[in-house]
Amino acid sequence: MIATPDAKTLSSFRDPAGSVVHSRDRILRVIHPEFVSEFETFLATRIAHESVESGTLITSERISSDALAGLNPGEALYEHERVAFPSYPYEWPAEMLHAAGILTLDLARKALNEGYGLKDATPYNVLFRGPRPVFVDVLSFERRGACDASWMAYAQFVRTFLLPLLANRDFGWPLQQTLSGRRDGLEPEMIYRTAGFLQRLASPYLQTVTLPTLLAAKRREDASLYHPKPAGSEEQAAYILRNLLNGCKKQLSAAGPRAHVDSTWSEYLEHKSLYSSQQLDEKESFVKEALDLARPVTVLDAGANEGHFSMLAARTGAAVVAIDTDPVVVGSIWRRACAESLDVQSLVVDITRPTPASGWRNQECMSFLDRADGAFDMVFMLALMHHIVVTERIPLEDLLALAAEISREYLLIEFVAPQDPMFQRIVRGREALYSQLTQERFEDAAKPHWELVRSRQITGLHRWLYLYRRRRAEP
Amino acid sequence: MLKPYRNPFASLASLALAAMVVLLASPSHLFGYADPGTGAFLYQAVYAACIGGVFYFRKFLARIFRKRP
Repeated sequence: MIATPDAKTLSSFRDPAGSVVHSRDRILRVIHPEFVSEFETFLATRIAHESVESGTLITSERISSDALAGLNPGEALYEHERVAFPSYPYEWPAEMLHAAGILTLDLARKALNEGYGLKDATPYNVLFRGPRPVFVDVLSFERRGACDASWMAYAQFVRTFLLPLLANRDFGWPLQQTLSGRRDGLEPEMIYRTAGFLQRLASPYLQTVTLPTLLAAKRREDASLYHPKPAGSEEQAAYILRNLLNGCKKQLSAAGPRAHVDSTWSEYLEHKSLYSSQQLDEKESFVKEALDLARPVTVLDAGANEGHFSMLAARTGAAVVAIDTDPVVVGSIWRRACAESLDVQSLVVDITRPTPASGWRNQECMSFLDRADGAFDMVFMLALMHHIVVTERIPLEDLLALAAEISREYLLIEFVAPQDPMFQRIVRGREALYSQLTQERFEDAAKPHWELVRSRQITGLHRWLYLYRRRRAEP
Repeated sequence: MLKPYRNPFASLASLALAAMVVLLASPSHLFGYADPGTGAFLYQAVYAACIGGVFYFRKFLARIFRKRP
């Protein structure tokens, strides 16, 4: 099938060697004529083969240029594997940004041994398959000058990985705001102003913030600065770069997120929820039975908390995307999914303010809803409805309509009645607004989009679990 | 004032070095499109100079140790 230009979306275009086009669910990379042979040579290297084999580098297959209309003569076309659910750095918890940084450095170090370097070092080069990062910007690998001892992307690595992680951990700057507001990350000067005197002198601030800030203040305007002389030998250049990359890895470890951070929503199910263990068993049985019946391949767990039910779904073989607003619980889902090797991608996304489209012409990064539209066989909304209806004041009918846009088949939703203690806790004196919110009204609101498969009340709670199947349009 | 003596081979060597700079250093700089920053780039230059020095020092040490079985 030939993709016409109107069907394609340019999503990567900064690299002078080529661009990436999304075309009818295919990810195609156009390589400009003068770079085709270098790209082919890289794909034949050991690092490319081994990395693809181990799943850390995306696959690339040369396809006929006829597959995309409008190519210039001599341009080559490659198809990359499509990552099931692409996500962006501003949706990741600190743990995932950290993992993407480690992968970038590992690949840079391996590439160095084969005479290659990374021409850019941004988290946008990485996507996630479940909890595992995969490097997708294959064109970022370029042949290094043998005696070139500088890594031009070093500053970008510091700006987009190290400094956002440091600012997040030490000053509480949310990664979501930092990275969605600034494509190219944070400047050392911004952190320098915020850091305390002693902090500025300690590693990794000294190397990544203080010295760069002081050196930049003393600089002379001289363009030759950016054309450093080559090292005395190939070995010396490789030695310098290896040490630089090792130093980056140590700094990244030092800037990494702290484990066991507490938040309002951490350890919720174990210690803060009103579910007794018996009631939790009832809920689990209902979810397991629903999964047995629905056999979903893809699941969206909205309001996943620490991913208890995401893990249940993943254990049945589903690929799960788990979203929550709290980066701490999302980070703990990632850790658990890694430890148990479960196909769960955890993202910091607020379903009531989903990630908007962003970047140049609002086309570089898709909105969350555009990516989620019809992407899941089943959607979980467990212990979520009351937060959306009360705290966010989203009409119940609209919530159920949104679920029908995201889910291709099933919805597993928990109805929390106004008598529920958790409901009352967030109502805060506005009971009158919800006096009409009954179980019957909830069921009526679901009817236009959903037909009931089964439901049950949790014993002793004002909570009901519903498994719905999407209503098909009348023929 | 005495005109300093210029070794013609030294000029040739400089020319060769300049050519090396163009040949070896340019490719990554041409297509490495990420903004190299100012302070971080200067830091990297200072780092390269220091570690580049350590490289020779380490070679020197290795040579000494190799002589002593």
